[in-house]
Amino acid sequence: MRVVIVEDNALLREGIVALLRERGVDVVAQAEDGPGLLRIVAGHKPDLAIVDVRLAPTFTDEGLRAAIEARRRHPGLAVLILSQYVEPVYTAELLAEGDGGVGYLLKERVGDVRAFIDALERVAGGGTALDREVVAQLVDTRRGGAGGGALDSLTPREREVLELMAEGRTNAAIARKMVVRPGAVEKHISSIFSKLDLPASDDDHRRVLAVLTYLQAGG
Amino acid sequence: MGAAPDTPTAVPQRDAGAMALSVHAALAVLVCVLVTVVWGLTGAGEFWPIWVWFALAIPVAAHALALDAARRPPGPYKALTIHAQATGLVAAILLAIWVLSGLGAFWPAWPLFGLAAALGAHWIVAHRERLPQARERELVERVDELTRTRRGALDVQAAELRRIERDLHDGAQARLVALSMLMGRAEERLEDRPEVADLVRRAREEASAAIGELRDLARGIAPPVLADRGLQAAIEALAGRSLIPVTVEARLERRPPPVVETAAYFVAAEAITNVAKHAPGARARVQVEGDGGQVVVVVTDDGPGGADGGGSGLTGLRHRVEALDGTLAIDSGPGGTTVKAVLPCGS
Repeated sequence: MRVVIVEDNALLREGIVALLRERGVDVVAQAEDGPGLLRIVAGHKPDLAIVDVRLAPTFTDEGLRAAIEARRRHPGLAVLILSQYVEPVYTAELLAEGDGGVGYLLKERVGDVRAFIDALERVAGGGTALDREVVAQLVDTRRGGAGGGALDSLTPREREVLELMAEGRTNAAIARKMVVRPGAVEKHISSIFSKLDLPASDDDHRRVLAVLTYLQAGG
Repeated sequence: MGAAPDTPTAVPQRDAGAMALSVHAALAVLVCVLVTVVWGLTGAGEFWPIWVWFALAIPVAAHALALDAARRPPGPYKALTIHAQATGLVAAILLAIWVLSGLGAFWPAWPLFGLAAALGAHWIVAHRERLPQARERELVERVDELTRTRRGALDVQAAELRRIERDLHDGAQARLVALSMLMGRAEERLEDRPEVADLVRRAREEASAAIGELRDLARGIAPPVLADRGLQAAIEALAGRSLIPVTVEARLERRPPPVVETAAYFVAAEAITNVAKHAPGARARVQVEGDGGQVVVVVTDDGPGGADGGGSGLTGLRHRVEALDGTLAIDSGPGGTTVKAVLPCGS
């Protein structure tokens, strides 16, 4: 897996690079700002770009904008956004733009090395990795109100499966996390899809997208 | 006559008044001349025309004073000035009669005294009314100054809060994230000592909790999307994740000061939350309009009404809005609820 990193804070950039290299991930280039991202993506053709949302010069959302631009110029580029806060609008913009894997994680998740590497591999493989905080906000928004009836009809176990799916986890990973058999996860998923009236599919990634589309649709 | 001198209709009007006075005066002079000629032709005895001159001079003087009074702009001293001029005219008439009738005993003393007393009383009354105005002016200046300095303090506070938020992001939060990465790496190397790895994992989770608390603190200051993209984007983000359908119409000529932006955002957020909570079937509309002078936020819904302006959420909003010298109005009836905040942008 060939990865580029764009992070303006040197301490964090070096931390991520060291951590990835220990796990055998090939960090091919680093940059500090949006134009730097576009340059190294064009020059190195990485499998995945890890990008901080806030970058110079205004420290607002340049990283996100640059990542979206990079995906537009290089279709199929996988992008993992790292941020110190959760902003569902940014996730929606990222998911709406082009194909290829996307991820949006809080920065502190990097500390959980195994889960982080797992998320990187998922995104690099064309899947999604959404922070559980993002998913929790999406689910909270959809619950309780006029459009939340269907979500409220899920059992607690089903809701747990839904949230893990929305984070982008595979069925096998969900089964491991919940300490159940993969068959039980399958059963929960088909129940969720029928309760939420979503089209069934055998493709993990498609199912994730269906769940995310549902969660983002708003009341 | 409040008309400006360069207004076309004003010039003839002014001229008409002066013209009438000129004609009046000219006629009086003509009569005086005629009378004097008659006196000369009839033997030039005792100079009786002086009485005719005197009698004609009084209405001309009165005319001139009336014209002056009509032209005087309204003001606190207008009545007093006219009174003084009239007193002067009457005093002059009395003195002239006394002189013309042969300078006998000074009988005008008493009427002059009476006139002066009346004028004096008027002067005192006029100035007594003026006295509180001076005090009032002082208070107005003081209030202006306090408004300005309070506004300055709020602007400084808002700027400081955003700076703190940025410092948290670049400083403490970043260091905690770096710390949690280091601990993650340590954890990886401790696979053969699970009890130590477990301690490190717990330490990392504590660091994550601290990062989470700092994040909540920063979000309470202002949501990131507001600082990043401004009021319209932040309210559209609110609308996008609301449980009820919300339309947003925004027209902002320029970006308001941070303190106004934050207050406007929280007004919209609280109002939308209230609609979703109390009128789940309703639709809401947010209108935001702003120029350099003020920002107006109006949130309307088609719910059943019955909003309580004294609720804790709305009371908090009211305090936030009033601190900026703004107003918050809540109108709730069977047709729906309207929450309107007007936020001045300060000087």
